[in-house]
Amino acid sequence: MDKEKIFEEHYKRSLIRAGTACCPGCGGPLFWRMALEALGPKTIIYGDGPCAYCAIRNILVPTLGIHFSFVADGATGIAAALAAKGRDDITVVSSAGDGATADISFNKVSAAAERNENIIQICIDNEAYMNTGIQKSGLTPFGAWTTTTPRGKETPKKRIPMILAQHRVPYVATVSVAYPADLKAKIAKAKGIRGFKYIHSVIPCPTGWRFDPAKSVEVVRLGVQTWAWPLYEVENGILRLTVKPKARPIEEYLMAQGRFRHLTKEEIELIQREVDEERHRLLEYDGKSIIH
Amino acid sequence: MSQVVRAFRPVVDNDKCIRCGNCQTFCPEGTVLLTGEGVIHDYRYCTGCGICANECPVGAIEMVREGAG
Amino acid sequence: MSFTRMMEGNEAAAWGVKLSRVEVIPVYPITPQTELISAIASMIASGEMKAQYIKVEGEHTAMAAAIGASAAGARVFTSSAAQGILYMEEALWMPPGMRLPIVMCIVNRALAPLGGLRPDHNDSLLQRDTGWIQLYCENSQEVLDTIIQAYRIGEDRRVYLPVAVCYDGYFVSATATPVTVPGQEEVDRFLPPYKHELYSLMPEDYRRPQWGTNIARARYEVQKAMERAKGVIEEVDRSYRASFGRGYDGLLEEYSCEDAEAVLITMGSMTGTARDVIDEMREEGRRIGLVKMRCFRPFPSEELREMAKRYHAIGVVDRNTSYGSAGGGIIALEIARALYPLDDRPLLLDFHVGLGGSDVTMNQIRYMADRVLEALDRGKVEEEVEWVELLDLGEVM
Repeated sequence: MDKEKIFEEHYKRSLIRAGTACCPGCGGPLFWRMALEALGPKTIIYGDGPCAYCAIRNILVPTLGIHFSFVADGATGIAAALAAKGRDDITVVSSAGDGATADISFNKVSAAAERNENIIQICIDNEAYMNTGIQKSGLTPFGAWTTTTPRGKETPKKRIPMILAQHRVPYVATVSVAYPADLKAKIAKAKGIRGFKYIHSVIPCPTGWRFDPAKSVEVVRLGVQTWAWPLYEVENGILRLTVKPKARPIEEYLMAQGRFRHLTKEEIELIQREVDEERHRLLEYDGKSIIH
Repeated sequence: MSQVVRAFRPVVDNDKCIRCGNCQTFCPEGTVLLTGEGVIHDYRYCTGCGICANECPVGAIEMVREGAG
Repeated sequence: MSFTRMMEGNEAAAWGVKLSRVEVIPVYPITPQTELISAIASMIASGEMKAQYIKVEGEHTAMAAAIGASAAGARVFTSSAAQGILYMEEALWMPPGMRLPIVMCIVNRALAPLGGLRPDHNDSLLQRDTGWIQLYCENSQEVLDTIIQAYRIGEDRRVYLPVAVCYDGYFVSATATPVTVPGQEEVDRFLPPYKHELYSLMPEDYRRPQWGTNIARARYEVQKAMERAKGVIEEVDRSYRASFGRGYDGLLEEYSCEDAEAVLITMGSMTGTARDVIDEMREEGRRIGLVKMRCFRPFPSEELREMAKRYHAIGVVDRNTSYGSAGGGIIALEIARALYPLDDRPLLLDFHVGLGGSDVTMNQIRYMADRVLEALDRGKVEEEVEWVELLDLGEVM
């Protein structure tokens, strides 16, 4: 059998080619591989900037990027052009990293949500500005080392999915590449809904989080199992936890990564208390409306 | 043809393989395929990250130093 | 069916947009542009116009949405002014390099601080290096006509560049002058539907320009497109005159210049006032004419060089500032470069006037014209740059 030919066909089918510019073990291309399976070929992807998006050159559906600080805006224009031309068979995806989504273009994401633009907005969250060399963003978690928080970040991560859910958009979901079926189901669901959909994906970053690339999937799986990364969706205001594992100690997740290794026992206990509180809150509202 | 600089390469023992497909599912670059004749790797693009070996439930994939023969 | 009635510049602009069958309009309000976007909103609400109207949260997004829509194959319009243009600036650099023929109205307004709500030209002139074509209009009719022309210029395959249609806030935007609105069928014959040869984002037909690794080459392409645009602007204006019976002499309009020895160069609404002053002075037997700069980008260097052979003194009216420049305002700087290769250069005087949106009065124009003629008589320039508003000209303000 011709191995090269088999792989070329496989890449074509996957809508993304191998040989991206991403680091070994990066969750970025892995996310896109899974997402594109759910999105299909009739998709236009808008976005630029985040390093997990270095996969862009290898994506085989139409893409358009302007620059790092442009989020949701150009996708709004693409969606409007499609509406003007009566093309409702194409899915418009807007992609941005954590810094673009939560910091420099948060106004744009919020405004697109308020206008209920017919796009899927995706946050590629590797919890820091990794492309520029690991600098703190609004989505860097409490305690994490970055080059601009050498003693650990002082404040917690913004709760962007919940903030967007409070915009009363039709669909918000968190996903993880460690749970492919859950991820694909949520993106497939988002594709079928009209209006603004928000998908927040954790992207493991061996380079910035400081762990062995082989552990990429294992680390984010631990994130879900310890409830550092709860997987849920908010559909028309109703919260639903899609994965409800028995909680493992947060220390297992933290200590798997070099960026948390400096944390004291007290700090780890503090993080554990906050994760527990959040878990209880989520379980309490599971199946209920969170829009008040 | 390969532009990849890689310290280790994954090597499969298809006799041990239970055909679960985890290696294919979790390979970031898509360079692992579960075929009818077992698991194959596309070494042109494999970055040698080791996720396939780590995610294999039966230890059928081993990371071998490049050039070790 | 065409009709004629009094119309403010902003309303005329809305008619220009409607007649151009624009498909996507992302906009954000700012004085003095707001009447334009509310006029468009009314036309859409009443069903007379069909377009996707996006009420975005800022000018940066307005331009980004315009880029997305234009690349996805829609004809796009947006507009802004002053601080809005500055807030948009990061996005403004994108359409020329991406070769997207977006049309935008810049309703000129002075910049903060030391500005106000009324016009000067620093907001649009600051964008001179971005690669946008810049056309300046004198009255409501010209605004309407220039918007329709702008789409045909920008969408011409020899050009593929965005076009800014600039007009002064208040003096044009909110001043009613007679406007003949052409019929839709006539405009449809003049302006074909938008089709970009280089772009399609549709999955079945995906293509995008590839710039390659030689960045200088890609930039040179933009420069060549700018140079080709000169001919296209003239050609489109001639064709417009043939279709609608009105035109604007392409890049530069010479007014009352027969046997003139000196000229004043103006831009925008002040040209109307200057026409009256020049008429008076011609009656007095003074040999001065007027040149209206309609096109600032691409800069009409060759045309100015031709004129410089006929006029021995040129006075430039610069409604802008360029602090610490080589000498004077932005237009004078450009003209000096354009005329530099000539062996026999005319005298060049520059005047700062109308700054922060103050009126450019008949007295001031007469003063400037006098100074130009004086320099001509003496054969030399006494003061290269004058700030006319600092002088006591006996104005009743």
